[in-house]
Amino acid sequence: MRGSFVALLKKDFRLCVSGGFFLLALGSLILYSCYINLVYAKLDQELFPVYRYDPGKAGGERIAGVTDVGSLNELEEACADGYSVGLHINGDSVFGGKTEIMMVSCGIERLDHIREAYARSLLFQEDKTDALGQAEIIGVNTREMKNRREMTAEVLFFELVAVGFLGVASMLFKEKQMGVIRVHAILPVSRIQFILSKLTLLLSSDLLFAAVLTVVNLGMPEGLKALPGVLLQAGILSLVMALVGFLCAELLPDFKQFSLIYLVIAVFITTPVFLSVQAGVEMEWMRFHPMYHLFTAMKNAYFQVLSAGGLYYGACAAAIILLFLAAGWGLGREMKKEG
Amino acid sequence: MNWTGLKYQLKALRRDKLCILTFLLPIFAGIAVNLMGDMDFSSAAEPSFGIVRGGLTEEMEDWLQTNGAVQIYDSREELEEAVKEPSTQTIGVLSDGEGMRTVRSGDEFHMYAVIADRLPALYEQRDWTSQYDLKVLPAGGGNDIMKSLLIVIIMAAAMFMGCTFNAMNILSEKEDGIEYINEILPMTRGQYVKQKIAIGFVGGVFSTVITALICMRVTAAQVLPLLLLVVLSAFTAALAGLFIARFAGGLMVGIVYIKIIMILFLAPPILFYMLVLPDSIWYGLSYLFPSSAAFYGLMGLMEGQTDVVREAAVLAGHGGVWLAVYILMGKIKSGN
Repeated sequence: MRGSFVALLKKDFRLCVSGGFFLLALGSLILYSCYINLVYAKLDQELFPVYRYDPGKAGGERIAGVTDVGSLNELEEACADGYSVGLHINGDSVFGGKTEIMMVSCGIERLDHIREAYARSLLFQEDKTDALGQAEIIGVNTREMKNRREMTAEVLFFELVAVGFLGVASMLFKEKQMGVIRVHAILPVSRIQFILSKLTLLLSSDLLFAAVLTVVNLGMPEGLKALPGVLLQAGILSLVMALVGFLCAELLPDFKQFSLIYLVIAVFITTPVFLSVQAGVEMEWMRFHPMYHLFTAMKNAYFQVLSAGGLYYGACAAAIILLFLAAGWGLGREMKKEG
Repeated sequence: MNWTGLKYQLKALRRDKLCILTFLLPIFAGIAVNLMGDMDFSSAAEPSFGIVRGGLTEEMEDWLQTNGAVQIYDSREELEEAVKEPSTQTIGVLSDGEGMRTVRSGDEFHMYAVIADRLPALYEQRDWTSQYDLKVLPAGGGNDIMKSLLIVIIMAAAMFMGCTFNAMNILSEKEDGIEYINEILPMTRGQYVKQKIAIGFVGGVFSTVITALICMRVTAAQVLPLLLLVVLSAFTAALAGLFIARFAGGLMVGIVYIKIIMILFLAPPILFYMLVLPDSIWYGLSYLFPSSAAFYGLMGLMEGQTDVVREAAVLAGHGGVWLAVYILMGKIKSGN
């Protein structure tokens, strides 16, 4: 019994290798890591630039964070982007003549207010240095570390849900086309073993991928600290997606039809999740979206926050068991049809 | 142009539900964006403040309300949780005698860090408005940048569908062995390529124009520039589909290529648009991606401009160069 399982495992491994499965994973790993390290880790939003036109030099010396321009025209041009703010200083002193704060509205009233308030504070700032560090800092991450954790979580989720799922299904369709399922119907290998060997292989390759991705992008000490939680979530996600892929491969006649389902999954199921978690767009129905909870758990694992409760893990376990049973049933159906 | 061939291509297309759906997808997405009027995109761009219930004076609360979104929490712990939450940039505001003091998590963008640090001072100076004049010019175009960004992303995706369609279509023909049948048919490779580009191109234009009709409010002066952009980028996308079809062996590999190209097409323009100033070298370099030109052009149109000469020129250049490369590659291949 064990011998046949190992043989199955070996066969699946060879199938993965010949399908370029691992090569693809390696390629994505490099692509994602480059993106995170070279682009996303540095992502920042700068404060609106403030420009000053001060013909009479009434505003005093340079103010930190303010760019001086030479003419009113220049000032107007600099402020035309709807983000920058201009200070036009008239008269003898700041308090004498009527100074003007000018800007093009950005369309969001409250942001316009804070732009005005910030420009005002620069106008009346007594010491002309950029006084920072007055707010109490209570978090543990720097901006860069937060960016790294955030994007690594997103990339891993995307990889497992979209790319990994595609890999699983393409492998299964290939087997189906080759008639492997038909052959298995007459072999003394149980259906459970057939599914288990694939799950084992996919799970271990996904876990390896998750581990390398995490360590490469979070760095050594932080990556290792987050790893146990990440691997747990990656395991859950990998099992769920592999089983869904299995079901799809059993129920759909060909790969082309599958790519339709795939399109729907990739676009309509993951996009709202990203919108909600990444951009903070609020949607009431979001908590009924199962992917939302999976993604939140993954993200929390990266930030080393424990939030998912017993209900979440219970639901995951139930989903995996149900999907497993369904996959077994689908395989039986397929074998009967083929045989 | 061989019109009968094109007719047969269209006939084959009618049976291909996947291809039809590919073209309809952006249209559905466009409708969805229009329907999701309740999605509050502006909240993502303005500062958000968290306060503890009853922790601030009414005046402070009112002032915060005019400067950002205010979220009220029941306890200090809940507030700190919200401030630490990585996906938001919430600034915690607490009372400090007469004034206020702020807490932040330390991982926010520079902009929100500065706002948090200065907020007590900004509040103190709230009444100093008589000492200067404020001149606010109305916004130039669309007032919701996040929404227009989303619409442009969908439009760019719609343009891209010609690529997806062409690649899938040719690859499935390859798998069905139609490629070999084509070799014995009285049709040259050039004719085949022309037909395929035409189909992907027409489909891409069709789906982008309908998406535009659903999502964009276009003035009469913008119709021509918009059409120009759509036509040029749909052509480039259809061409990209041919490239994918040439390099991928089968449908499965093709889909992976499509995904990679799609990411490369959609991600850089968005990033460059959000992060890089229009005058910098990086912005210029981003024109190396044909999608960037289409994206910037569309964004400009959304903001009410009509001048897309530079973007159209870049797109036309891309179309010309890649077409030449494709033809050259075909010549080399047939030469062997």
